[in-house]
Amino acid sequence: MTKIHSAVMKDHDGNWRKDQRDRQRVPAITNGRTNPAKPSINKVKNSIESMALSPPDSDVVKKKLEQNQMKGIWSQSGGNIEYLFCKVLLGVLFALYAGIRYVQYEFNRIKILVLNLAYNPSNSPQLIRQDVMKLEKLPRRLAAILEKKREGDVGGGVSGILNDGSELVAWSVSAGIKHLSLYDYDGHLKRNVDDFRDNVFHKLSKFYDPKNVPKFAVRIPQWNKVYFNSPGSEASESKKVLIEISLLSNRDGRETIIDLTKAMAELCAKNEMKLSDITMKLIDTELIQLVGHEPDLLLYFGPSLDLQGFPPWHIRLTELYWEQDNDQVTYSVFIRGLKKFADCKMNVGK
Amino acid sequence: MKEAKANWISERLKPSATMTGTDCILTSEEVVEKETKQVQKRLNLSKPELPNWWSFSDIKKYLYRLKLWVWSCFLNLAFVHWITIQIRSGLICILRVGPLPQHISFIMDGNRRFAQYLGVDKQSGHEAGALTLLNVLSACKQLGINTVSTFAFSIENFNRPREEVEILINMMTEKLDEVARMAQNRENKFYGLRIHVVGERSMISKSLNEKISYIERLTNRGESMLLYVCFPYTSRNEIYHAVYNSAESCKYHGKSSGDTTVHTFNQHLFFGEASSKCDLLIRTSGHTRLSDFMLWQIHQNGVVEFTDTLWPKFGFLEFFTILLRWSFFASLQRRELADISLSSRAWRALKRGLVPSKRKIVRYDDLPEPPKTVSVALKG
Repeated sequence: MTKIHSAVMKDHDGNWRKDQRDRQRVPAITNGRTNPAKPSINKVKNSIESMALSPPDSDVVKKKLEQNQMKGIWSQSGGNIEYLFCKVLLGVLFALYAGIRYVQYEFNRIKILVLNLAYNPSNSPQLIRQDVMKLEKLPRRLAAILEKKREGDVGGGVSGILNDGSELVAWSVSAGIKHLSLYDYDGHLKRNVDDFRDNVFHKLSKFYDPKNVPKFAVRIPQWNKVYFNSPGSEASESKKVLIEISLLSNRDGRETIIDLTKAMAELCAKNEMKLSDITMKLIDTELIQLVGHEPDLLLYFGPSLDLQGFPPWHIRLTELYWEQDNDQVTYSVFIRGLKKFADCKMNVGK
Repeated sequence: MKEAKANWISERLKPSATMTGTDCILTSEEVVEKETKQVQKRLNLSKPELPNWWSFSDIKKYLYRLKLWVWSCFLNLAFVHWITIQIRSGLICILRVGPLPQHISFIMDGNRRFAQYLGVDKQSGHEAGALTLLNVLSACKQLGINTVSTFAFSIENFNRPREEVEILINMMTEKLDEVARMAQNRENKFYGLRIHVVGERSMISKSLNEKISYIERLTNRGESMLLYVCFPYTSRNEIYHAVYNSAESCKYHGKSSGDTTVHTFNQHLFFGEASSKCDLLIRTSGHTRLSDFMLWQIHQNGVVEFTDTLWPKFGFLEFFTILLRWSFFASLQRRELADISLSSRAWRALKRGLVPSKRKIVRYDDLPEPPKTVSVALKG
């Protein structure tokens, strides 16, 4: 392990159990805690209300309003009436848009329902392999963003996210993908890594012969740890793993890059390293060690794309896939993502 | 070398010194008008020739061209032109009273494919793309959006054929020059625009660098909108520069390395105040990846919009729909995040007092006593 790496590792937080990022997270606007795209009259009302009451963002409009105020009571009415009129019209446009959007939403939901019926592997790896055999290429490294749903919902809470993660592992094993990264903002997966390993083992033994379950390794880059198979199994039989799973969280994103910067700055200040030694390549190799390789395909199972702070260095050329208005971790999204990847052409600037 | 530079600058200054007169203003606008027409002519917007009926791809191309031709004929009718302009400015007036993104960026993809579809050379495709950019920029300016950034040229683009790279760079500097001149003119729609060219500037030639610095200096008084032109840029390169500069400031400017935070790191990035967040990223032509653009800015909670339209066909209406969508969801989120105002809180309390709500949280103690439990086996 290099000096930089050890310096960064030292920085990583010890009180990880108290991490409560999920509570402070501001999601992307199209992807709130309750799905904003889901039809409801109340949402349209709220949106129009907040638009009508909040002051404008635009500098042009702000200036105009200020000028109107300078002019005195009688002359200001013209401009203000125009402003109010525009607000009303925007409200109408919002309502129209919401109508169209909600028709679209229902359409997408029906599409997803049909797709889920069409693609249903029901725990049989042969079917998954058959689907994959039709594709030209597979991503070498697959990543997925998972979300913890509310405790009361179907598939909600920590057990829900553990289940989603282990299902993805089983599909990836069946498809023949060797590297899988699972990202969740608050790091529920890595905090409950033992439960997760149990879950994966359980899921894999449902898919395959329970006496001969495929071997897997779980890597947590943040603490530089690797676990093999389920908690009870012996380490000696862990040699040939079929899949390597790395668990990432928001901590591996911006903050790791900042930690790396700190470590490098300190080494430079102590003259243990030259400034000219800092190159793109060095940063890249360090971040590969600290976080992992760049995935080729990133799946998101929410209603509209929200990267949620996925490590920024690692989404350079990654193909992104999500299904509009979907909110569940389903096989149809997984296989359609793989299809999309197989069809796309990579230019890299040319 | 210095003489050459001085010469070059004085040459460049000549026209701008006369910029104060109205004649020059007219010429710069006329030039743009003329060029627009020229580009349209070169884009072959005349009635397309009949295709080879046996080839499917030929027919597809023919239909595409036919569609464009019919559209352009329709839009060129004087009254239709007038009406579209009126509608456009009306829609902008409406949209700008609501919430708007502070920082928008564009990945302008699809110029070459557009040219291929029309059967013209690549340069015309790029020119058509530049026209679209001007259109979109003027819409942003009217809306009052603070920061716009465009992905003009990636470091990876140097892998393209040399002639194409040269054409692209020349065209870009020309257009920037034009825009910079327009930004000087009080009457022009671009007045007050400030241009920054950001990226790995050490990769381009010295003369070009001087030209670009000159353009930046021309517009450095602009206050109404900031335009970042990323040339030649990649996001990883930007992050690398920020890491390097942070380390440098620790070493030579006596800053402690422990003080590095996301905030101080942001100051070393290219986009000034807009470095920490990009609200809306639009990528045309259907690829769903970021291609090394704005990674740091978009990955937290930015909105990324992918559209299948090729960049030269990216029109106002599509841009408007994307913004309307953004605005709708932004106001919804603001409402959800905001504390509820006093009046509505009072209203709710009143409502709750008068009309009891349907669902109450149930405590076990509130339930009535269940009937007595008995056991069959132990009876008697």
